[in-house]
Amino acid sequence: MRKTRRFVLSCLAGASGLPLMLHSDLGFGAGDGCEPSAATLRCLVEDPRRARVLGHSYRAQFPDEDHAGVLSGLIRSSLGLGSGGALLNRAGLLAVVDARVRAEFGAGDIVRVHGWVLARTEARLCALCD
Amino acid sequence: MFVDARTLPQKFVIDADVCIVGAGAAGITLARDLSGGNRRIALLESGNFDFDADTQKLYAGEVVGQAYTPLDRDRLRYLGGTTNHWEGSCREFDASDLADWPFGVDELAPFYRLAHDVCQLSSHSFEPLDWSTDEARPLALGQGASLKSGVFQYSPPTRFGTAYRNDLAAAPGLTVYLNANLVQIDTNDAASSVTGLEVACLNGKRGRVRARQYVLAAGGIENVRLLLNADRVQKTGLGNGYDLVGRYFMDHPFVPFSATIVAHAASPEMAFYNQRMVRGHIVEGYISASDEVMRKEHLPPFAIGVRPAGLDIDAGVGNMTLPPALRHLMSENAANHLTYYLPRWINRLETPITWMQQKMWRNPPGVYHTAYNCGPYPDPDSRVTLIDTVDALGLREVRLDWRLPASFERDMQRAHELLAQELGRTGVGRLRIESSATTGYDPIKDLGEGHHHMGTTRMHNDPHHGVVDADCRVHGIGNLSIAGSSVFPSYACDDPTMTIVALALRLSSHLKSTLG
Repeated sequence: MRKTRRFVLSCLAGASGLPLMLHSDLGFGAGDGCEPSAATLRCLVEDPRRARVLGHSYRAQFPDEDHAGVLSGLIRSSLGLGSGGALLNRAGLLAVVDARVRAEFGAGDIVRVHGWVLARTEARLCALCD
Repeated sequence: MFVDARTLPQKFVIDADVCIVGAGAAGITLARDLSGGNRRIALLESGNFDFDADTQKLYAGEVVGQAYTPLDRDRLRYLGGTTNHWEGSCREFDASDLADWPFGVDELAPFYRLAHDVCQLSSHSFEPLDWSTDEARPLALGQGASLKSGVFQYSPPTRFGTAYRNDLAAAPGLTVYLNANLVQIDTNDAASSVTGLEVACLNGKRGRVRARQYVLAAGGIENVRLLLNADRVQKTGLGNGYDLVGRYFMDHPFVPFSATIVAHAASPEMAFYNQRMVRGHIVEGYISASDEVMRKEHLPPFAIGVRPAGLDIDAGVGNMTLPPALRHLMSENAANHLTYYLPRWINRLETPITWMQQKMWRNPPGVYHTAYNCGPYPDPDSRVTLIDTVDALGLREVRLDWRLPASFERDMQRAHELLAQELGRTGVGRLRIESSATTGYDPIKDLGEGHHHMGTTRMHNDPHHGVVDADCRVHGIGNLSIAGSSVFPSYACDDPTMTIVALALRLSSHLKSTLG
């Protein structure tokens, strides 16, 4: 796993910084031994404060997903993880998320949030922070 | 040789085999290629060797519709024409760019090879991987990807009036008439043959040209003006039997800050799509859509470039043009290095505080913005017409009504969405599409134009759909042809100069056959 890096984006046109969840080597930061519950998935986001802005916007666009339980269920499902299933360590979870995110971009499963074009799963991870 | 038409006797008469009107990229290329072989070539240029304000005023006109640079500032009316402020970007149109043309890329290929030399390019390759380095490489887009990479090469840039002045002076059988303005095209009663041109100078001298073949090479707006003013026989204007002259005007709309990208600092993928020096050549990568995606999504041909964001000290610094005498003393590599780096170093010396500020405070690494331009689909209502105001020579002036398609912003955003997908799929970065609704910045408010005047005497084998045929001859007029980007039936996404030169060389080949 590539080293986690803090990535700070200074404001451009008034937008808030993009949280550290673009790519595994751009800063997925999480504690060790996380289980894929909602709280755990939030651990993948290094800057939840900034993610919250995007997450709030995502929830407004997709009101059916405006619940932590729904979001975490959808994320686990898209990652192929059952609830309470096999535990992944941090590296493993980030690798799974990274692969899923790239696949979603490739398949066009994207959303626009505050102008940012994000993969569905990463947008949902932001929404978990709201 | 050069002759100042103002010094000719009143009611002068010029006889030639070919008369070319306009000494810009097309006209000079034609004249150089046609000269020799016992042919008499007359090249008429409205201006002189250098800029003159009174002559420049002859370019005045009106702009309505989409905002546009005033017409007497957008073009230059002296020897070399608008190449006197050309940026130098070159690319060959490919098969999809020529899909709506009456011939394909194979037809133009040999003329593009010749055009390389005319535009003073050193390499024949536009293959992205040929311009890849460790520090700059194209996105790994792969087979079947929705996007593809391309490369522009930069001419020094060639100022045609300066670079080829000696050639024009020495070319056998060629006379360049300076300060000579075409004011009327005379035809027979059926308007099926040009019988002569009326020429006037600002000092009151007037005369006539008689030739076997005539070529209008005055630019995409001026060619229209000359044809529409020639209404003595065809009342709607010469060659305008089907109301097509002046229609389908198109430029390349350019949006300098269309999206933001965050990626790794010194990302080699981002560096590829900015202007840079590679092995002594100035090149710039760009991203465009695959042919399949363009067809499927009805997107126009577009080109996206990438620039570092924030304090870009080199923003707006162009490459300089070396005097030919100096350039000839240097190797191509050395000359290109000088033209690229010298203006940037001068800029640093002139703005030391800005330079120090950039050194002391680095914009967060890995932040870029995109620049977008495209070649919209032809629109017959985007057009050049005449107004009643006349210039100092009595010629009616033009009105430009440039129209962009209603889908322009949607197409631009979709292009960036496709790029965002590829950036995410390859793990290079993320992209934010700028819009007033989401980011508070409206990129459309900074929309500009490429200063490319195209399509107004478009090419089509059917006179109901085009002004000129596939050989660039005006339908129904056996001895009148048109050179330049006014004949383009579609526009690609980039600078037309190299294609203008290639088409001029092709026209020259046709004319040589016709003249025998």
